[in-house]
Amino acid sequence: MSRDQAPGGEGYKQFEEFLKHWSRRDFVKRISIGAAYTAFLAGGVEFMEACANAGSGNGPTVAAKKGGHLTEGTISDIKTMNPVLTSDTASSEVIGLLYDSLLNTTANGDLRPLLAKELPKTSSDGLTYTITLRDNIKWTDGSPITADDVKFTYDLMFDPQYKAVNSPRRSDLETYVQSITVKDAKTIVFQLKKVYAPFAVAQLQYGILPKKVWGSLSPTDVNTTDMNTAPTVTSGIFKFQKWDKGQQVTLTRNDGYWQGAPYLDTFIYKVVADQIAIGNQLKTGEIDMGQPDPSQLADLQGNPDLQIVTFPVAIFTFYAYNQNPSAKVSQMFSDKAVRQALLYAIDRQGMADSLYFKQAVVATSSMPPVSWAYNKDSKPQYPHDPAKANSMLDSAGWAKGSDGIRAKGGQKLSFTMITNAGNKVRENSLVAMQDAWKQIGVDATPKLITFPQLVAQITNDRSYDVFLVGFSWNADPDQSALWHSRNTAPGGFNGFGYKSSAMDKILDDAVATLDQSKRKQLYFQMQDILNDEAPAPILVFNKGIWAMTKRVQGVTGGDFGLGTYTQFQNKAWMKSTFVADGK
Amino acid sequence: MLARYVVRRVVASIPVVFGVTLITFALLHATAGAFVPGLELNPNLRPEDIVRIRNNLGLNDPLPLQYWHWIAGLAHGDFGRSLVDGSPVLSHIGDRLPNTIELTLTAILLGILVSIPLGVVGALRRGSVIDNFFTFLSVAGVSIPSFWLALLLILLFSVSFHAWGLPWLPSGGAQSAFSGGDPIDRITHLILPASCLAFVYIAIWSRFTRSSMLEVLSQDYVRTARAKGMSERRVTYLHALRNSLVPLVTLIGLELPGLVSGGAIIEIVFSWPGVGRLALERALQYDYTMVLGLTTFVALLVVVGNLLADVMYALLDPRIRYA
Repeated sequence: MSRDQAPGGEGYKQFEEFLKHWSRRDFVKRISIGAAYTAFLAGGVEFMEACANAGSGNGPTVAAKKGGHLTEGTISDIKTMNPVLTSDTASSEVIGLLYDSLLNTTANGDLRPLLAKELPKTSSDGLTYTITLRDNIKWTDGSPITADDVKFTYDLMFDPQYKAVNSPRRSDLETYVQSITVKDAKTIVFQLKKVYAPFAVAQLQYGILPKKVWGSLSPTDVNTTDMNTAPTVTSGIFKFQKWDKGQQVTLTRNDGYWQGAPYLDTFIYKVVADQIAIGNQLKTGEIDMGQPDPSQLADLQGNPDLQIVTFPVAIFTFYAYNQNPSAKVSQMFSDKAVRQALLYAIDRQGMADSLYFKQAVVATSSMPPVSWAYNKDSKPQYPHDPAKANSMLDSAGWAKGSDGIRAKGGQKLSFTMITNAGNKVRENSLVAMQDAWKQIGVDATPKLITFPQLVAQITNDRSYDVFLVGFSWNADPDQSALWHSRNTAPGGFNGFGYKSSAMDKILDDAVATLDQSKRKQLYFQMQDILNDEAPAPILVFNKGIWAMTKRVQGVTGGDFGLGTYTQFQNKAWMKSTFVADGK
Repeated sequence: MLARYVVRRVVASIPVVFGVTLITFALLHATAGAFVPGLELNPNLRPEDIVRIRNNLGLNDPLPLQYWHWIAGLAHGDFGRSLVDGSPVLSHIGDRLPNTIELTLTAILLGILVSIPLGVVGALRRGSVIDNFFTFLSVAGVSIPSFWLALLLILLFSVSFHAWGLPWLPSGGAQSAFSGGDPIDRITHLILPASCLAFVYIAIWSRFTRSSMLEVLSQDYVRTARAKGMSERRVTYLHALRNSLVPLVTLIGLELPGLVSGGAIIEIVFSWPGVGRLALERALQYDYTMVLGLTTFVALLVVVGNLLADVMYALLDPRIRYA
């Protein structure tokens, strides 16, 4: 179900609302009113199905109800409500409900226009993106959202006069964008320096700020203004009411929202101690939805008051061999047989089953299975095969010594593995790897360090042997951040020092064309090379797990239901979400 | 005389606060990486942005200069701004401090109200079954880790009671998400964390009351009182109890700095929006300015608290003279 469609249940008033949306899409010009009504009913049926799914098939479907509140549990408080500054998930979730962006995505990652009337028109050379804004979009003070607001927001992240604004997006925009020009009140043009395929996905989903209240701030004031903690004029489906720091953010219905007000009166983003507490508070009904720990899933599934939704996500855990020439282990890790053999020795399915409680899938390539560029047949694959690992190391000349540890040319196959202390799954993963590798005569010792130290090791110091950490890909399949040799420079995330001119060319070519089939082909090649080289193997891709009380309805199903790319900053399903008891 | 003493004490405490800030500053910087505090690890983050933001925040300045900027601000009463969210450290403390005081004060009151009767009964019925039972409770209270007790209480009184259809207590937070600050609602949220925190106080203070009471009961003046034919009740409550509480008052006084920091672990388990949880969260994010500000704030409180206590002694006890 598209978020433009209203579900059935409230009769003609909703049909009128529905027609308004359809006319916005210029459909009414093409189809008769009767056809529109049929489509409306069809949308309603689809919605009913979505509800039935959401309720795990239990009980009768409830018609959408207005009013009431929904409380989502989070384990981290937000840091800011400024879309220009944010980098963390919690803040982005709230920002996404307060400020609409030019585009957003469907649950499976396809771009959709939001404030934009349609997807950007790109010139034939791929360098010019022209975006036309919708006519009916407005700020909460009633004034229209214009191209000036869009330009102003991007200037905060891009224009040299705003360098003092602590936006983590500046370098990306400076690298790719030549200029941003307002053509008229509703039209804005992004002129790029070079063709960059991920541009729309990566750069056109930031919340837009109102120029008239932000425009007078000095660059440093943008970092510290009260509007970062208490926004005044916003554009999203909810309005800001209150932030009780360390407790909750309270948002209220935006009656003037251009897509129509949500059913919910209030949305509360509530901080709880940890994921175990999320499970507890779901059981007591103190929160309505949240992401519990995978270990609790079986327990929560048996609870008659709760419904569970799981889906694949692009969040992954990987480990990397330090191949930087300056590292003493680079010699053994430059041996492909060693890298491959170590991966064969790990029982990743066992890890997914026991450490992730089956809420993870073994990675068969670096691309998440949800991506359009995923190659399910990428080769070679690494099923758990200790015998093969042993024979590979034997034939590569790594012979077992008297202590049972393999060595070659006086160098022992012995190293330490680092990850951040406090993340139980990562800590246990290292222990599992230590055990697995011991079986094949490899001595690996886990070492836990603080998170900032881990980041410093990956991006700067690079004196580790093996690190293990988690990342998340966005909806575009570009993976240059990890595999491109330019990111081996200090500060880059290719901290394991993987350098391949063939890989660089594939990555560069793949972002230099807007032809999706060509890109797909290149990313298939990329996955094959990475599977063969195994410079930094991905262990598993996680699953998104959401649990909700049964009174929460209308969350799942359709393009904008809760899913892979709609679980955090893009909660498009808030439009169709309601609480069955209306409280 | 007293005024001169106070001035001297204040001057003498400046190096203490100074030392606390310097050590905290050094420790934070020794353990932190070259990242931006609070920024999440994200493959799309570029090194240039990290360098620029660190420059904007002054984190690439030489350490002595950074410390100088901070301490110069402090001299003007400016605790600085959080590196993670850019808002003033003092505003965070102002938001969180009332919650922490609400929790710890309740726990201390609860501790006093329960521990004194337990201690008195234990002393009067020394060696009885009930005394042994209280002793067992005290040992348990001191030895059970409070986070574990907290989790058990949540499981029983919150999750299980809810599942059994009994009246249940909220498992976390200072108020219901949707209550809007209703006092009854706040009290129900206070019960579990305050009891958990009070349990430790009760364990220690009841033992203290008991031994202090036993000591006083064997004093000459108690025997004299009895010899005068005073009823046992009057002896116990009028003479013995009052005097046995004097050391307890000192002990409770020692908990006063804990008003701010005492319940950090309880605050975390019950997601109580207090200062302790703020300090821990921000330490994990390497929010230097916030941690520095909080440490300094607590150090100042301790210094002021000790000074007040000393002055109170002088005012209350004419035998104590400060020169």
